[in-house]
Amino acid sequence: MSKGLRIITMVLGGFVVISFLHLWLNIGVEKLSWLSTDVRQETFKVGFLPVTCHLTCPVTDWINTNTTGKGFYEPVRFSGWPEIKESIVSGHLPATFLLAPLAMVLRQQGVPIKIVYLGHRDGTAIMVHKDSKIRNFNDLRGKTLAVPNRFSNQYLIVYKGLRDQGMTTADIKIVEMPPPDMPAALFSKSVDAITSGEPFMGQTEIEGYGRVLYQAKQLWPNFISCVLVIQEKMIREHPEQVQRMVDGIAKSGQWLDTSQENRMDAAEVVAKKYYNQNPKLLRYVLSQPPDRVTYTNLSLAKKDFEQIEGLAREVGILKAPIAFEEYADPRFSEKAQTVSLNKKGGQ
Amino acid sequence: MKLRNLSFLLPFLVAAGLVTAWHFTVVASGSTIFPKPVQVLTGIVELARHGVLFKYVVASLFRISAGFLLALAIGIPFGLLLGWFGLAFRAFNPVIQSLRPISPIAWIPVAILWFGVSDLAPIFLIFLASLFPVVTSTIAAVQNIQSDYLRAARNFGVGGLSLFRKVIFPAALPQIITGIRIALGVAWLVVVAAEMIAVNSGLGYLIIDARNAGMRYDLVVAGMLLIGLIGLILDFLVRRLEQMDEVRWGGRRA
Repeated sequence: MSKGLRIITMVLGGFVVISFLHLWLNIGVEKLSWLSTDVRQETFKVGFLPVTCHLTCPVTDWINTNTTGKGFYEPVRFSGWPEIKESIVSGHLPATFLLAPLAMVLRQQGVPIKIVYLGHRDGTAIMVHKDSKIRNFNDLRGKTLAVPNRFSNQYLIVYKGLRDQGMTTADIKIVEMPPPDMPAALFSKSVDAITSGEPFMGQTEIEGYGRVLYQAKQLWPNFISCVLVIQEKMIREHPEQVQRMVDGIAKSGQWLDTSQENRMDAAEVVAKKYYNQNPKLLRYVLSQPPDRVTYTNLSLAKKDFEQIEGLAREVGILKAPIAFEEYADPRFSEKAQTVSLNKKGGQ
Repeated sequence: MKLRNLSFLLPFLVAAGLVTAWHFTVVASGSTIFPKPVQVLTGIVELARHGVLFKYVVASLFRISAGFLLALAIGIPFGLLLGWFGLAFRAFNPVIQSLRPISPIAWIPVAILWFGVSDLAPIFLIFLASLFPVVTSTIAAVQNIQSDYLRAARNFGVGGLSLFRKVIFPAALPQIITGIRIALGVAWLVVVAAEMIAVNSGLGYLIIDARNAGMRYDLVVAGMLLIGLIGLILDFLVRRLEQMDEVRWGGRRA
């Protein structure tokens, strides 16, 4: 059996080498919680998708890393909504950017989370193929439209647009599709219209086959798609961290909306370091036009959410009414407001 | 000698023919989205230049080997026991057979719920996918051992643990290794699905990330090719194992 033993030793030796390489190249020894306990207490994971609705997550981290040398949270990029949802439901993820109606539905189903802040305003469009004759909702009758998720505000905006034209969701065929797949689906004309957060809508314009049917603000002024959601355990145990994050988002949002140069800087860094996209995409959607997506006016307003709740109930994704206080914790948002007001007063 | 040269060259010729056909099909279709072979090659070079190629290969190899070795460590002893003890086989077989056809993709939500966003969730998926081929082939291997071997062993007074070690395991080994080959293939098969979970490295992740990045279908195909190539190398290594004398013991039949 000496040869057998040799093979087993070789296989296990190979595994040790691969594990060591993986640890060294991909995990980073300093991130191992059992090697340095303080890291785990100081930073927490925040989930995001590579979309402009979540842009303040990497921008805040980037600003923190630049000003203090290291960020106080770790942005974790996901590839789709189901994975984010499962990570927050299981409690493995303390904080994440999430679709507002999805956050409400999860809260109603007993997941201990609270919405603490908005991530953006606007930043969604409904796109059709540039060859198509679709000019309004009426032309969409009988056509196929892709939305990111049934619990998304993109679904609600389509519902609202149809309702305002005296139509219903039964008049068009609505399918769910991960936003990264939408441009190719529109290009191949396998769907007639698509809607999701940027940059996937702008991408179809850059690549020359997409046309804007509606920008979100035409249908729903001050549109909200994604919100910052925190586990209640995290709020109880580390309220100062939550406040720090909300303050950071408020400030980086203001910074983003201060000048076009800031936006182009952010596009460059976020595309390369966080989203792994071509910077051209983010530069385009952050400037064409500049108010395509905005990052100010992010505090939690009860009436915004009551509107979302009302639409979610009409369309049937919320089965019963839910109180604002139950799914939202506006304390951090209120404090962030005073921070920025004080700062303005001092200037 | 000539025949040998030909059999060595033939696989390369087939591969080259397919790549050429791929190139001209894309050119003929006029597609601006599907990449040509040259674009895929440039994509791989770009990955190497950014230093991520090696990292991603290492990450996938780590997850594959961790899940796969775990499957071997649990699957082979478990299979030997079930193959030998008929009662245990009857007790466990229905459960094994009902878990076996479930796709690893269906296990993704469960893996996230149990293991969260870390390397553990993809390792679990790879473990699960490769466990069943190992278990079922080991069971079958033990059940198919020629009774001559067992009778001879009993006549010489071999029993208990040493029967397992000296007769059952070596006799079953060739078929177990076939199971290992299948399991290794399956492990690579699920790496894309396994790395859909929030990890940020690996060849499966490369494919999913390229979809997020807009028009980077060259990287999608690059990821596919790399997975295929490494799978080929690993299968070659396991086949070398199969051809060793110690291993062929059980396969030698009159």
